[in-house]
Amino acid sequence: MKVKSVLWAASLAVLAASPALAGKDNDTLVWSTSTEMDTPDLYYGNQREALINAYAQCDSLLHRDPKTNEYLPLLATSWKWLDDTTLEMELRKGVKFHDGTDFDAQDVADTLNHLAAPDSDMKIRVVVDWIKNVEVVDTHKIRIHSKAPTPAAFEYLSGTSPIYPSGHYQKAPEVPGADGKTRRDWGAVLPVCTGPYKIEDYQPGQSLTLVKNPDYFDGSPKGKPTIGKIVYRTIKDTETQVAELVTGGVDWIWGVPPENADMLNTMPNITVVSAPTMRMSFLALDAAGRTGKNPLTDVRVRRAIAHAIDREAIAKNLVGEGAAVQKSLCVPVQFGCETDVTQYDYNPEKAKQLLAEAGYPNGFGVQFYAYRDRPYSEAVINYLRAVGINAELQFLQWRALRPLIVDNKTPIAHLTFGSNGMLDASASTGHYFQFSPDDYARDEEVRGWLAKAEGTMDPTIRKELYSKALKKIADQAYYLPLFIYGRTYAFTSDLDYPLTDDEMAHFYMAKWK
Amino acid sequence: MREISRTPSKDMAYFILKRLCVTFLVIAVTSVVAFLLVHLSGDPAAAMAGEGATESDIAAVRQLYGFDRPLIVQYFDWIGRVLQGEFGRSYYLRMDVSDILAEHMPVTATLGVLALSFAMLLSIPLGVLAALNPNTLIDRIALWLAVAGQALPSFVFALGLMYLFGVYFRLLPISGGATWAHFIMPAVALGYYATPAIMRLTRSGMMDVLQSDHVRTARAYGLAPWRVVIRHGLRHAIIPVVSLAAVQLGFMLGGSIVIETIFSLKGLGYLAWESIQRADIEVIQAILLVIATTYAFLTLFADLLNAALDPRIRMS
Repeated sequence: MKVKSVLWAASLAVLAASPALAGKDNDTLVWSTSTEMDTPDLYYGNQREALINAYAQCDSLLHRDPKTNEYLPLLATSWKWLDDTTLEMELRKGVKFHDGTDFDAQDVADTLNHLAAPDSDMKIRVVVDWIKNVEVVDTHKIRIHSKAPTPAAFEYLSGTSPIYPSGHYQKAPEVPGADGKTRRDWGAVLPVCTGPYKIEDYQPGQSLTLVKNPDYFDGSPKGKPTIGKIVYRTIKDTETQVAELVTGGVDWIWGVPPENADMLNTMPNITVVSAPTMRMSFLALDAAGRTGKNPLTDVRVRRAIAHAIDREAIAKNLVGEGAAVQKSLCVPVQFGCETDVTQYDYNPEKAKQLLAEAGYPNGFGVQFYAYRDRPYSEAVINYLRAVGINAELQFLQWRALRPLIVDNKTPIAHLTFGSNGMLDASASTGHYFQFSPDDYARDEEVRGWLAKAEGTMDPTIRKELYSKALKKIADQAYYLPLFIYGRTYAFTSDLDYPLTDDEMAHFYMAKWK
Repeated sequence: MREISRTPSKDMAYFILKRLCVTFLVIAVTSVVAFLLVHLSGDPAAAMAGEGATESDIAAVRQLYGFDRPLIVQYFDWIGRVLQGEFGRSYYLRMDVSDILAEHMPVTATLGVLALSFAMLLSIPLGVLAALNPNTLIDRIALWLAVAGQALPSFVFALGLMYLFGVYFRLLPISGGATWAHFIMPAVALGYYATPAIMRLTRSGMMDVLQSDHVRTARAYGLAPWRVVIRHGLRHAIIPVVSLAAVQLGFMLGGSIVIETIFSLKGLGYLAWESIQRADIEVIQAILLVIATTYAFLTLFADLLNAALDPRIRMS
């Protein structure tokens, strides 16, 4: 009898053990991706999950409306350029941090000055590297002094630059460093912000829970939060994510493979949608001859490669919903992204003709380096082989490929770039065409235009300069844009979810239906 | 003649000393190999800085973590800290490695013990039944179960379980490790993989024992059949099974990447895999060292046990 009771109790316990309470009935939105968040502090992490969290938890000085891409007042209510390198901003009054302290100019200065310091160990420095220092004018007015004219300043100050209270980073633990020394682990401090949601719990590598901030200030362009709790969970396996979504353990997932998307589409309680992302896929061709004398230094060969690949077929049939052929070496949603540039249609005969003209009637052999999506790289290689270019795939992890790129070892590299979420053409062009170790084109003229565009405040002139640079990049086929990745989202039909083109999940704008 | 002149306790002491030396050598070599493998497979700073990083971002990481120093200096810096009981810090999770291990090891240990228990509960009775009914339908079914366990990839079996009990019947939680119920499906999926070997060993052992003189004698005395099987048969047949189970447990304590990934259990296997992907060097090195040390000491323990039981081993 006793054994029977124990078994019965155990069975009940099994049945009672339910997964995380998700869904409309529990006012809890559970979202899941396969990536473990490295830190919720956006400045010290470079995962998109941290960016998504930062948008919901934190406020920056400005807010870029994800639908119109217009810069709106957030913690700064108004601003003006006093000269090309001084930006004065009036700050919002009556705003409180989640720990109850009042927000003021000192918080902005302390946060940005800490990060802009050369020893801040910040991960993607481009976001703050332009800042010389931030000066407090009065309790609610600051001046940002930049090192040089920075036309992308508003982009850097919106979304990706959350403001923390003064003294925030003083809580960073002292941890062992190299050679018996110690270092401060700045990214280990949990962010305290002013945003629509506040952190309730964080389990590194596992989950992060946000709860609604009932005191969120009126008049925020982000709007007042409506969903009570937002929980992030890492689930590595896509099949498991799908199973959790179907059974209501999770409310929102992305990166759904086409085969799962088709199945989920048949379910009435699940919504499946696709959208483009900011990640582009392209071939970096050694036009500059950094790997030594090679056929790719001839523009006819590079154009032949461009004509040899059916980018439309790869984007549609292989990459799937949401993906699109990339017209220029930038993402259309970025400021200055000129897409009216030379296009190369799929024409293998023309490719063969160009190769023959360049002195390679029977093609040639070349090493083809890749690291991310092997099937896509193999598809490209098959197209190249069809015109006689015998590309030999060297598929490596990023950390193994990166030193080869720097050491002039990659005649063709199949790369991807997400622009670090920046909606400005400088993010991609600046990374690849300004004579950095990533630059295999090394074109002085392009570099000059880009440098000028990055130092000019006039948007019209900037657009013209980016247009010139991107047109020449395309015309010379320095780098060959292939496609822009798409993402398929699947979420409970109870959710009114705002789909945007910036590859972001703006959960603070979501509502239950 | 030399061995005969020694006393058993001297033999044992010599044997222990020899085995201890080998064990520490194995651990030392593993630590060097682990260190080299991680450092020579690419630029850890590039992985740590991320794909969007510029060369100066990567250079800053290289300097911050001391990757710009010669490998030998880095190795002795690391091993020096390990010898002081300091495993370092995960650059990615921003936690001390010892805390991360303390968090992940119980998950893997729970999964390993449950999986092995399931495997033994399933395979030993099956093995006994098969041995008692050789070449019958029961034997065939037991064999089929064993073959299925060997032939079926663990991820297929795991996903099948998940679909049936998680999605279709909705009886068990699908992912995570919050309650003991979360461990049922992973333990079954992992344990089933260990079933065939244990079942076959039990079956063959039982068949040998059942034909032995002492079992025949026990039967002749008119003892109850179950008593003959359990007390006089299984008791002897199970000795090699226990050895095998210990090896399987060692394997399971290393963590199962596939099972832990599918069921989103934050165990040691999952942690190792994730850390390799993101070049979280201090975590990888600590895991390899812990696993190597566990294996080395388990082997040492088994050797010592065998030597204590069988004098021929320690004499050889």
